[in-house]
Amino acid sequence: MNMLRVVLIVLACAGSAAAGTAQAGGLSVSLAPLASNPSSPQMGDRLAFHSVIRNDGAAPVTGIIAWISLVQVDPGREQPVDLEDWNAHKAVTVGNLAPGQAIVTDWPMRLIQSGHYRVVISAVNREAGGLIASPFVEFAVRRKPVVESQRVLPVAFGIPLAIAGLILWRRWRSS
Amino acid sequence: MNSMILLARKEGGELLMSGRGLGWLLALSAILSVFGLLLVSNTELSLLDNAQVVYDMAGLVTALGALLAVVMGADAVAGERERGTLVPLMLTPMPRNRILLGKVGGQLIAWSVMYLLALPYLWAVGSTGQNLADAMLVVALLGTPVVLAFGFLAMGLGARFAGVRGTLLTSLIVLLLSASPLLLGPSLRQSVIGKVFDAVNPFSGAMNAYDAVIIDSQALSAQALHIGAILAWLGLMLWFASSSFRRAAQ
Repeated sequence: MNMLRVVLIVLACAGSAAAGTAQAGGLSVSLAPLASNPSSPQMGDRLAFHSVIRNDGAAPVTGIIAWISLVQVDPGREQPVDLEDWNAHKAVTVGNLAPGQAIVTDWPMRLIQSGHYRVVISAVNREAGGLIASPFVEFAVRRKPVVESQRVLPVAFGIPLAIAGLILWRRWRSS
Repeated sequence: MNSMILLARKEGGELLMSGRGLGWLLALSAILSVFGLLLVSNTELSLLDNAQVVYDMAGLVTALGALLAVVMGADAVAGERERGTLVPLMLTPMPRNRILLGKVGGQLIAWSVMYLLALPYLWAVGSTGQNLADAMLVVALLGTPVVLAFGFLAMGLGARFAGVRGTLLTSLIVLLLSASPLLLGPSLRQSVIGKVFDAVNPFSGAMNAYDAVIIDSQALSAQALHIGAILAWLGLMLWFASSSFRRAAQ
């Protein structure tokens, strides 16, 4: 019983770790952020994630499709993210992966919106009936003002005030 | 000095130098300011929205310019008639078309001022994003014929209608209908009716070109279809204003 509890704890920890490996049907998928990623990214920065899909079995695996998914997990704003907007690669396909071989892929993306996100790599192959997914990697994107108030406020207040001043000056001159 | 330029300077000068004209410019700048402040207060904008806000501002500037041209165009003929100054103007030795072009020149001056007024706003909301210079260029190149076309429309209607009120009302209805792409997103214009409306509407042509250049980063030279539709509309409105003005002069 204690052994079962330890296994469950280990599995739970693997699920929420920053990087890890998942394994099923001879394939294993690992995912980790690149070391060059900014430690506290903000909107506009670029991140990349490194995945390795390895055939740990004894037989070749054919028809592999692997793709990246991104979900926002902020409370009340949970949603899948359209990766086209984030300039991310969508999928890699490999016809045949021999035993011991690996597909190494870097998945770059441009951070478009602030929030808390989880990224995961999923893979299917021709033989297996199910899906294999990597452990997710979590990251947070800091907000960056899209419209900067220090530029808008002087213009928004300055121009009407300048025109109003011109009107008042004309009235004062003509009186 | 050329009488046509003199007339254009008089018409434009009335807007820029009179208290009423400056009041209009104050109101137009206040609208742009409110729009800018609304954008600043929005914390949900993503980086994708940066080009969108420049596109929205470009559309708003064009709509306000067209509104200005409609008001000036209605006043240019129907207003002159109501004030009893149209007949003396017609009796001057100036050819009718030159009078018309002089009046349009005044609208062009007013639009130029409006455009220059809008540039700081475009810079303020779009300087951190993409295609700002292209946005300024496309508004100048495509916004100008759209604005002038509405000026011609109002002058043509003013020559046919008895008073300013009817002219303004009809012109504003056409302007509101044309400017509906500002309110209706592209998805609502995907029906057959929407596509036909987009094809013949100069405002849609301008907005679609703004979308392509500002948001999708396409080249201005790839917007020949939209530019053609806008210029065709400008030519049609010039013909309408010219023929209406000749008829009013008889």
